[in-house]
Amino acid sequence: MKQQKIRNFCIIAHIDHGKSTLADRLIEITGALRPEEMNEQVMDSMELERERGITIKAKAIRLNYTDASGECYLLDLIDTPGHVDFSYEVSRTLAACEGAVLVIDVTQGIQAQTLANVYLAMEHDLEIIPVLNKIDLPGAEPDRVVGEVKSVLGYSGESVLKISAKTGSGVSGLLDAIVSRIPPPHGNESATIRALIFDSHYDRYKGVIAYLRIVDGSIKRGDRLSLMAAGTELEVLEAGYFNPRECPVEILQTGEVGYIATGLKQVGDCPVGDTVTSAVSPAGKPLPGYRPAKPMVFAGIYPTQANDYHELREAMEKLKLNDASLTYEPENSPLMGHGFRCGFLGLLHMDIVYERLEREFGLSLVVTSPGVEYKVSESSGEKITVINPSDMPPVNEIALIEEPWVRVGIISPAAYIGPIMELVRSSGGSHLNTHFLGDSSIVEGSQRVQLDYDMPLRTILTTFYDKLKSRTRGYASMDYEFEGYRETRLVKIDVLVNEEVVDAFSRIVPPEEAQQAGRLLVQKLREVIPRQLFVVPIQAAVGGRILARTDIAAKRKDVLAKCYGGDVTRKRKLLEKQKEGKKKMKNIGRVEVPKEAFLSLLKLEL
Amino acid sequence: MMNLAIYLHIPFCRRRCNYCSFVSSAGREYEIPSYVDALIREIQLTRREDTLITSIYMGGGTPSLLEPSMIDRILSAIRENYSIFSSVEVTIEANPGTIDGKYLAALSLAGINRLSLGFQSLDDDELCFLGRLHSSADALDSIKFAKQAGFDNISLDFIYGIPRRALADWKDMLKNVVTFAMPHLSLYPLTVEEGTPLWEVREQPDEDQTAVEYELACDVLERAGYRHYEISNWAFHGFESRHNLGYWTGGTYLGLGPGAHSYLNGTRWANTSDLDEYLKSLSRGELPKLTLDPIDGRAQLTEAIMLGLRLDCGISIDETSSHFGIDFLEEFGTEISELKRLVLVEVSDGRLKLTPKGRLLGNEVFLRFCP
Repeated sequence: MKQQKIRNFCIIAHIDHGKSTLADRLIEITGALRPEEMNEQVMDSMELERERGITIKAKAIRLNYTDASGECYLLDLIDTPGHVDFSYEVSRTLAACEGAVLVIDVTQGIQAQTLANVYLAMEHDLEIIPVLNKIDLPGAEPDRVVGEVKSVLGYSGESVLKISAKTGSGVSGLLDAIVSRIPPPHGNESATIRALIFDSHYDRYKGVIAYLRIVDGSIKRGDRLSLMAAGTELEVLEAGYFNPRECPVEILQTGEVGYIATGLKQVGDCPVGDTVTSAVSPAGKPLPGYRPAKPMVFAGIYPTQANDYHELREAMEKLKLNDASLTYEPENSPLMGHGFRCGFLGLLHMDIVYERLEREFGLSLVVTSPGVEYKVSESSGEKITVINPSDMPPVNEIALIEEPWVRVGIISPAAYIGPIMELVRSSGGSHLNTHFLGDSSIVEGSQRVQLDYDMPLRTILTTFYDKLKSRTRGYASMDYEFEGYRETRLVKIDVLVNEEVVDAFSRIVPPEEAQQAGRLLVQKLREVIPRQLFVVPIQAAVGGRILARTDIAAKRKDVLAKCYGGDVTRKRKLLEKQKEGKKKMKNIGRVEVPKEAFLSLLKLEL
Repeated sequence: MMNLAIYLHIPFCRRRCNYCSFVSSAGREYEIPSYVDALIREIQLTRREDTLITSIYMGGGTPSLLEPSMIDRILSAIRENYSIFSSVEVTIEANPGTIDGKYLAALSLAGINRLSLGFQSLDDDELCFLGRLHSSADALDSIKFAKQAGFDNISLDFIYGIPRRALADWKDMLKNVVTFAMPHLSLYPLTVEEGTPLWEVREQPDEDQTAVEYELACDVLERAGYRHYEISNWAFHGFESRHNLGYWTGGTYLGLGPGAHSYLNGTRWANTSDLDEYLKSLSRGELPKLTLDPIDGRAQLTEAIMLGLRLDCGISIDETSSHFGIDFLEEFGTEISELKRLVLVEVSDGRLKLTPKGRLLGNEVFLRFCP
């Protein structure tokens, strides 16, 4: 296909604003799939994606569109993950496109995450088509939302389309706008091949499948290619486009979106953002914007049963094949046994990895409290990085601790500025600026505002988002990006269960919060650890100083009082089940701790 | 000849108690005559000549809703189809308020020689909370009637761990109970199971209160001369329930009536617990078996331990070893030493037994012997 007839675009939307439904409708109208092949959320194929209504992996689909004048176009729609955890992946997808359809739920308005992605799209010079979705709903407020789009993004009211992805109303108008407003690619067809990798997945038979946007030149099966940053060399086993399944073709030409099968064994060998070029006569310069994935959030993952460690390692290896941004290294804890210290892009990423390990590999796991990477300068002059609280040196050996800060953007109705300010302040954040969105003539309080803050990443890891949601009745949305390292004062709280330090429960907090945090930790553990056969003291301490203590009373009674002929079998099975339940618990010394205890501690706000 | 115990289930009640999760229905008493016919049919269909009946137990439900003539017909049917041990123990469960002296005398004549009376409490408020139909006065009367009718082997049932009960009240009640000098007592903790009215009111027994009441009962009853021969049972010497001892020592039993279980030749089976289905299949002359559960060697071992340890004499290490072809101490060495460290079991005279603490934490002990 001539470049003139190609349009590459993505859809930017907040969660539940209708991205997947719109994609379904575009696929249906252009006839890319036969009706019997359609199901809801065609693009979200992973079970987790469907359940949570999120997109985890990027996907693409090619649509053939003939406009009213009979001209045929080739539209490549790339579906991107929307969550901030995956913002680098999003930026690579945007770099593969010339345009973006910005979907805004007309009953809700612009959300922080949308805005972050719109700014990203603007940075990449993408043509943006603002679309108000759900205009069929009774709560639709098109005028207010058009006002926001005008004031925030500077678009005129006429350029904003109004559609209902659900009913299909306005969607064909959108297709025309895609063709007329989004520019075609303008690569150099005769130059040596340069293609951008925007995602990849591992296939058992074909090796790593790299998702590409051809910028210059073309790719055929059998081409010898190399990756300019990773240095990997490969032969193209197959080239093709997405429908959304892989459809092999002879040649992928300049401007097209498609895939190559590489035969590589690990997605890490084929990093997102890298430039594919010819191994024989490489291009002089890579495409801009490559950076290796860098985990921001760290936590320990342990099997509840020590002998599942090897299975966990195998599962990690398999997951890693498909997830280049997951890092893990073996970790030994005297009480928790063998496990892994894992690095994640963010909390959602952590959640997803944990759930996939349990679901897809049938493992029973516990996760420790998530933390960040600290840079510690010791009194001896040595500099270390600490990703596991138990590696934090004693206070008297620390000269300086630095922790990562993030720039947090929050969008909310102006009525909630007070509670948000309060929440951010109590989380150690500092205010940068406040920016009112849309027309200020709108009823007071319902006008929306963007608030920017700098905050320690540590403080937004566990419950910040939930609190933000509850203090704004669910109206606020939030986004963050890494800002830099700053000096800080912190202490490590150790939790002792039955007189032994459980490193998995350690927390790093500012010294002035230690007392309260220690009390909350022991209270929570008392609630979630069931009574044992002996009294279990729970203590929280900083250094050798005990901050709080409580005892879990010994179990008094646990017996089948009646056992007669009728139910011997049933009672034996109950006992066997009770024993199975014990196996699912994590033994900390002699204390049996249900894995829910770890989860509830992880979610505990201090 | 193989010893065999027979259990007969009588699934009728005037009303269901608030804590009851047994197979029983209220408001179907008009079906009792046809039920008795079905039960007799089942006795005939299970007829065996290779066994000796050592005990018969009529439980419920409320067996004392049956006319003495019905009970006589049932027991006669057993005598006609089975060989009976000369000093067979024949127990019936009866609820105070449903019996009088004349009724009990007729039962005695029919062959019943042991009474198990469902007292549950001596406090009228508590009886009301439990949903019992009788009063404490009815309970006291029933002892009088039983004695008049010539019964000397009488057992009383009580419930402890009733929410909001003061320990002093329980103590007074126990003291009162020992003055009756009944030869056998069964004490059960209140258990609130899903689907019962008490579950709905969400009044859960308190673990500590239940444990303290149990310990107090152990103390008071021991001083009154009772032998605490099983976790929930106390008796004067020679009055231990022979029928129930059979269950705990791995004896064979035949259960008749809906929901009743049998254990014979390494297989356990259950009758359907649906009364209509039960009646229907017997009217066709078919046994109402529902499930069949072969108990393999390992499961038999678990059961032998979990049942045997319920008894004050525990289990014989040598006998268990030779019966199951294992070295018991070798097989469970780690578990036993851990349990000893926790003071939940003790070994004496070659027998493994629960300690007083272990009796309240029996599950913690039993489950360590599960596979």
